[in-house]
Amino acid sequence: MTATALPVDPATSAAHQATLEAIAAPGAWWSGADRLAIVRAARTAPTCAYCAERDELVPAAGDGEHDNDGELPPIAVEAVHAIRNDSGRLTRRWFDDVIDMGLLPEAYVELVAVTASSVIVDTFAQGMGFDMPELPEAASGAPTMERSDDVEDAGAWLPLAREGRANILRSLGLVPSALKLFFGTFGRSYYMAPDSQFALDRAQVELVAARVSAVNECFY
Amino acid sequence: MALRESVQANDREGGLGVVTGRGAGDAGVPHGAFLIDLADAVASWQWDRVAGLRQHGVESIGPEPTRDAILVAAGFNGITRVADAIGIRLDSRTANVSVGLRAKIGIDAFAPTAKWTASPGRP
Repeated sequence: MTATALPVDPATSAAHQATLEAIAAPGAWWSGADRLAIVRAARTAPTCAYCAERDELVPAAGDGEHDNDGELPPIAVEAVHAIRNDSGRLTRRWFDDVIDMGLLPEAYVELVAVTASSVIVDTFAQGMGFDMPELPEAASGAPTMERSDDVEDAGAWLPLAREGRANILRSLGLVPSALKLFFGTFGRSYYMAPDSQFALDRAQVELVAARVSAVNECFY
Repeated sequence: MALRESVQANDREGGLGVVTGRGAGDAGVPHGAFLIDLADAVASWQWDRVAGLRQHGVESIGPEPTRDAILVAAGFNGITRVADAIGIRLDSRTANVSVGLRAKIGIDAFAPTAKWTASPGRP
């Protein structure tokens, strides 16, 4: 049997390339080089020996070290690896430890958006049978230190955007550019616009979505 | 949600347990068993398994539907990480539209109390 290549949708390719270009630019709390380092950390996570051997997610344990290239602070590597490898086991106490160990909440929100966006791009590429895309060169410039005050406590670990139809759409609202980055990437994968179309019917799309949520042990 | 409506129309709600691995079948959805298998393999990053399923998909459901199933799976591999990493709670809108489906597939089991238990001294 000969493997058959699947047809690539140019709009998806363009959207995912735009995601990588956006990641390579300075963000609100991380530089372009830092954001690319977050992507590389996410790509390293699946083979991280420390992630594979630990039973509990306790960033303050201090008895091991994640595989990393030294470009990010250790607590940022902890966050990226835990989100990439073990998101279903993340707890409020793990999050509290991450913040106590020096990661600003706003920087954490942006790190989540960059990590999750890169997960989408890389998962799609590998699922299609391609290599993970090459990363662009980092653009120079300083982070903007952008933070939204239009947020409120909604029982999450962090304040959410005040406006939004569902909590997931408000989740990254503390840093609006992070929200824009993530949903700009995710938008190709679900019914985020009135003209969203798939070669599957709605029930088939929902079935795939529900199964992925279950595999990732995500209750939402 | 469309998934719930679809399986209700087919009078096969019990088949939804397949979403969380509590059974087998197609959940009342066309090519459902294949789509669940593909979603499972993509979300688990089992690329050799995905390669075999891609080929099967081209020959059964077609190339574009197979591609789009991978695209949806990739997207939800990302958005589940956002939901879990921000510790969001289920909002009333999402709960209202999904309550029946959630009960059927048992997905609420993935929301343990520890998810939102703060460290000592924190509100």
